[in-house]
Amino acid sequence: MVVGLALNDVDKKFNVCVLDDVDKCLLQLLQENFPIVECPWRELSEKLGVSEQQVLSRVENLFASGVIRKIGSIVDLAKIGYTSTTLVALRVSDDKIDDVALIINEYSCNVDGGGVVGNVSHNYEREHEYNVWFTLTAKSEQELSCMLNEILQKTGLSQSDVLNLPTVKRFKINVNFLVNDNVDVVAVV
Amino acid sequence: MDRIDELLLSELACGISLVEQPFDDVAAKLGISVEDVLLRLQNMLRTGVIRRFGATLKPNSIGFTANAVIAWNVPGERVDEVGMFFSSFREVSHCYERSPVPERWNFNMYIVMHASSRKVIEQSVKFLAGTVGIYDYVILYSKRDLKNSVKRGV
Repeated sequence: MVVGLALNDVDKKFNVCVLDDVDKCLLQLLQENFPIVECPWRELSEKLGVSEQQVLSRVENLFASGVIRKIGSIVDLAKIGYTSTTLVALRVSDDKIDDVALIINEYSCNVDGGGVVGNVSHNYEREHEYNVWFTLTAKSEQELSCMLNEILQKTGLSQSDVLNLPTVKRFKINVNFLVNDNVDVVAVV
Repeated sequence: MDRIDELLLSELACGISLVEQPFDDVAAKLGISVEDVLLRLQNMLRTGVIRRFGATLKPNSIGFTANAVIAWNVPGERVDEVGMFFSSFREVSHCYERSPVPERWNFNMYIVMHASSRKVIEQSVKFLAGTVGIYDYVILYSKRDLKNSVKRGV
């Protein structure tokens, strides 16, 4: 069964790549249990019952087809001093969204410790009167509010077009996709 | 965490390379042994500095084409109970309590859901609402990932 809006998207032409059961298992292991060992592909190949070369070439294909963005470390910002975070919603006129997005995105690549973190981790257009939603994180409440004020000033938005929703408590963060049986074909982008 | 840990994290922020022994490259760049690299990574995973080590997938590509933030108005005394309940679902990737904006925006609990369609999200949200008996919520579907799509000069 073919599932996926990307495939149904009539505006774009996509090629497709077929995922078999080994790919699905591989994607699950790559997300959850990537082996921190000298030869990680070999260890994965033993779990999957295919050769090390097979694992590497499958991973290469999954990268090439856009399924995998990266394989690396995801840092818990709170553990390295980024204790103040907030979700901000903005009410922006449609023709200004990209301009505002660019201003916000400038804060997504601020470097710390040589490039571990950015201050903006998410920035989405959402279907609501408040249509631009982004997360902002900093090392103190003061730094956070300075940064937010700076962004708002650059965008020229007034306080009445802004919702500042500081984090009180984090219950869960775990982005992990179950690559289920319904997905046999993926879009090559 | 010392300076080498920081350098290691920044080296791995963009991901490992697809070679037989990817951590060897990292070790060589930092001028330390591969054993040291592995030990440091395992330590940072154990202490939670590294939340997860592994692949980041593009949700669209594997059929997760609908994404929404659902904002809820949860009575203060029920926040912990409801937050833990929402968090127990695999489909819920994020769950946060946040300060509302008095008189303008009363929602204080935020979850993120990924699903194969909006219909699935709506059904899941109805189920969650019915189970906790809280019906004051708003579904905020994502339309565009502005961080990964809007770039200067494009």
